[in-house]
Amino acid sequence: MSQAITPKSRPVHAGKKVRTAMTHGALIFLSVVFLIPLYWLITSSLKTDAQLHAWPPVWIPNPITFEHYEKGLQFIPFPRMLANTLTIAVLSVVGTVISCSLVAYSLAMLSWKGRNALFFILLATMMLPGQVTMVPLFVLFAKMGWVDTFAPLIVPHFFGGAFAIFLMRQFFLGIPRDLAEAARIDGCGPWGIYYRIVMPLSRPVVATVALFSFLGAWNDYLGPLIYLANPENFTLSLGLAMFNSQYGSFPGQLMAVTTIMTVPILVLFFLTQRTFIQGMTTSGIKG
Amino acid sequence: MMRSRRISLLLFAISTLVGLLASGCGGKAAAGGPVEIRYWTGWTGHELDAQKELVEEFNRTHPNIRVRLLSVAGSYQKVRIAFAGGSTPDVSSAVWADELAGYAMRGVLRPLDETMARSGRSPEEFVPGVRRMVQYQGKTYALAVTTNTSFIVYNKRIFREAGLDPERPPRTITELDAAAEACTRIGAGGQFLRYGLRPSGLLNWSYVFGGQWYNPKTGEVTANHPGNVAALKWMASYGDRYDVSRMESFEASFGGTSTPNGPFFVGKVAMWQTGEFALEHIRRYAPDLEWGWFPYPVPPGGRPHTTGAGGSVFVIPAATRHPEEAWTFLDWLTRPRAVSQFCRAITNLPPLEAVGKQSEFRKEPLFRFALDLAAGENVFGPPQMPIWPRYVQEIRRAEEHAIFGRRDPQALLDAIDASIERDLQRTLREVQ
Amino acid sequence: MKPKRRPSAEQRRNLRNGILFALPWILHLAVLIAYPIAASFYYSLCNYDALRPPRWAGLENYRILFTEDPLFWTSLGNTLYMVLFGLPVTLVVSLAIALLMNQKLKGMAFYRTVYYLPSITPIVATSILWLWVLNPEMGLVNTVLQKVGLSGPGWLNSPDWSKPALILMGLWGAGGGMVIYLAGLQDIPQQLYEAASLDGAGKAAQFRHVTLPMLSPVILFNLIMGLIGSFQYFTQVYVITKGTGGPQDSTLFYALHLFNMAFVDFRMGYACAMAWVLFLVTLVCAFAVFRSSARWVYYGGEAR
Repeated sequence: MSQAITPKSRPVHAGKKVRTAMTHGALIFLSVVFLIPLYWLITSSLKTDAQLHAWPPVWIPNPITFEHYEKGLQFIPFPRMLANTLTIAVLSVVGTVISCSLVAYSLAMLSWKGRNALFFILLATMMLPGQVTMVPLFVLFAKMGWVDTFAPLIVPHFFGGAFAIFLMRQFFLGIPRDLAEAARIDGCGPWGIYYRIVMPLSRPVVATVALFSFLGAWNDYLGPLIYLANPENFTLSLGLAMFNSQYGSFPGQLMAVTTIMTVPILVLFFLTQRTFIQGMTTSGIKG
Repeated sequence: MMRSRRISLLLFAISTLVGLLASGCGGKAAAGGPVEIRYWTGWTGHELDAQKELVEEFNRTHPNIRVRLLSVAGSYQKVRIAFAGGSTPDVSSAVWADELAGYAMRGVLRPLDETMARSGRSPEEFVPGVRRMVQYQGKTYALAVTTNTSFIVYNKRIFREAGLDPERPPRTITELDAAAEACTRIGAGGQFLRYGLRPSGLLNWSYVFGGQWYNPKTGEVTANHPGNVAALKWMASYGDRYDVSRMESFEASFGGTSTPNGPFFVGKVAMWQTGEFALEHIRRYAPDLEWGWFPYPVPPGGRPHTTGAGGSVFVIPAATRHPEEAWTFLDWLTRPRAVSQFCRAITNLPPLEAVGKQSEFRKEPLFRFALDLAAGENVFGPPQMPIWPRYVQEIRRAEEHAIFGRRDPQALLDAIDASIERDLQRTLREVQ
Repeated sequence: MKPKRRPSAEQRRNLRNGILFALPWILHLAVLIAYPIAASFYYSLCNYDALRPPRWAGLENYRILFTEDPLFWTSLGNTLYMVLFGLPVTLVVSLAIALLMNQKLKGMAFYRTVYYLPSITPIVATSILWLWVLNPEMGLVNTVLQKVGLSGPGWLNSPDWSKPALILMGLWGAGGGMVIYLAGLQDIPQQLYEAASLDGAGKAAQFRHVTLPMLSPVILFNLIMGLIGSFQYFTQVYVITKGTGGPQDSTLFYALHLFNMAFVDFRMGYACAMAWVLFLVTLVCAFAVFRSSARWVYYGGEAR
């Protein structure tokens, strides 16, 4: 099987070139299709009102104006909502990373009776529609006085999430057993192995889990919709939807506020692409 | 041993953090300082500014109370969540009159009659339409600082161009249909460039046609009242005359009515079903428009000068920790001086009879018209039945299905009648 | 008969450590999953408005659901539409893009980034953006259609086109599934293709006999995830229709109807009954897929 090159493949050379060009053509066409809405979003936010309503539509804003940003940000208390969103997101990340790594460590590296059963239950819970637990959790949190606080959006993350635990467990399984064994001989207990060996080796998966949990909190809509009542506590996604239902007929401002919510995620993505895609892919194939 | 202790330490740290987070929010008054009252309102923009001014004045003149104003713009559903979660404000004006009976029935609002009497106030101060609206089973649960009316405004220039007399607006349904037809312009491709009117709001039109949704005497749901069916049939007849899917697409291009792109301001529609606030909006967004107004035209045997009433009302949730201070604020805010100042600032109609008689409100011809409309006999507020918000949604659904879905009005309303009646009986049973 | 051995000290220590480390999720399971499932079932048998204590109602909620609520059937129908049409279209399109990309060409990292980007754009932002892109009069799509001489439909404003519009919007996020397929494709050993080509298999035959079977576990994964997601479709329509599920109930999906029952009408017991029906439908579908997967998923003979 090692002789990869077959003599047959040579005469097709010209045809292959054409095929490559066609593939590129298709890929470029698709890229344009995928990018246009985003381009439209960002340029619309920079157009003057006249150009926004112009027919046929204007593709390049001229002049560029930031007036929609100024006005749009007056309508929603943007700094406040950004601070709320970041508070929730950062604490969720902290909670998820700490709790999920502990649980994943237990599931991957400690051998105890019931471990496999617990892992199976964990996988099974991924199939549970959130709607089933939605009402009782609302009632529970309401009884605890947590409605209209960030607690229902943060605290659960300190108790692990099935997907992140699964991701981390898969990664931990790949850590050579010898390392843990050597540490044990050196007198490390399970906590020491977790803290000194496993965690330092797991930066990639920690980064992936952190990113996904940040993204999840940033994008979450249903949670804030249910639990937050007072606009001072609103998150960006809630604020943006509120803006849409109230000022939706100011397309420029709507696009400006939408851009503000989107761009940080795009920047974050560009900075951490590799981690993102790795996370996505390991989650899929190892299932 | 050491290790497991560290693990427990970590768990302890997590639970402490969790506890901190949970208790970190929620406003508490500093001991000894003024009592803080949380007041939620649904007003935004310049209306919110006018409300803020009043709140600041109240805070200045009442050193023992500090009212903290919050705008829950556009999300009254949030208020319901706050009620369910027990984290209500002390005073809220972000409650629709529609929702009042449902809240009152469930005991989450403070009845106001006793405190009102102690402060020398009475529901009799309000115009009859508003008085009916804020009471449930003989008790007053809410007060109002504004009220509203519904009528139609029209573009005189378009009327003239269409060959209609701009000084004699339609009085009957037949005249209205003819005017709507005359003003409509359709482009070469069949798309709408402008339409005269597409009647909307079955709720109000049904009253015009002599209909009724709920009989307070018998407690019966009357969704398929012949008047309601006639109204819906007439509304749906616009689907016979026009291409409704084109109409729908055309409407998707309308700007909001509180923006300069509102369809009436830019001439995309010749007639606009609106209320007295139109005055302020037109002045602001289309000052050069030549316009007039007329009450809902009537079919033979219909109810002339019909108007809807509703809007936001002020309530004090039962869960408030400061009922006295909350009432002090609400009392101050609903007295003639504050009501007059607020209504003038946002050009709304005052609900207090005394204020409505003030000359500054009767100066403006549109206001005179609207005030008389509001004081007339055909004022229809939300009926005081507990599942009214759901009923309203069903009515809205029926309207959409009849006009755009071309479904049979009688069948739609029959179905609603049965299902709402069932729901009402069930809800009333539950409460007992 | 061997006497039953008591667990050794080490086993006991392991058990203690294992449970201690897994404790956060054990608590999660108990408090945030097991208890709510039980409570949800109990509430589904009650009248409950969240303002006053629940009151026993027996099977009343389920009876109303199946016999008196036409919107229940509407919402179920709309949701099944998305499962039966939206899901396969999305799966096929993301697979097609992944296949197109699974070649050693220059600029793959760039393409991958571009295709993946929309899938991480916040859903609220995506929904608002597409509301404008699909505006029947001023939107981008109908503008382009008009340029080529077609008159575009009313999209989200038309009851016939609103669900296709949502599927189209979903395709914009097909990059998420595409990346997973791509990883699966790249895991297929090159030798298999070479062997097939030596046996005289053409491109189509290679796809049919090598790519598809080798990729089947990934397809199963995407199918199951997509299935669960489709049944819970919510945020997009909630933002676009402001919770109404219009026009003419054409986008009233199951999860939206359920949310409206729970948090607009505060019929919590009824909403819980709906949630249980959803749970059972999801389980049955997932079970059916897993059962059938024995016939079409190829695990390459190795146990994972």
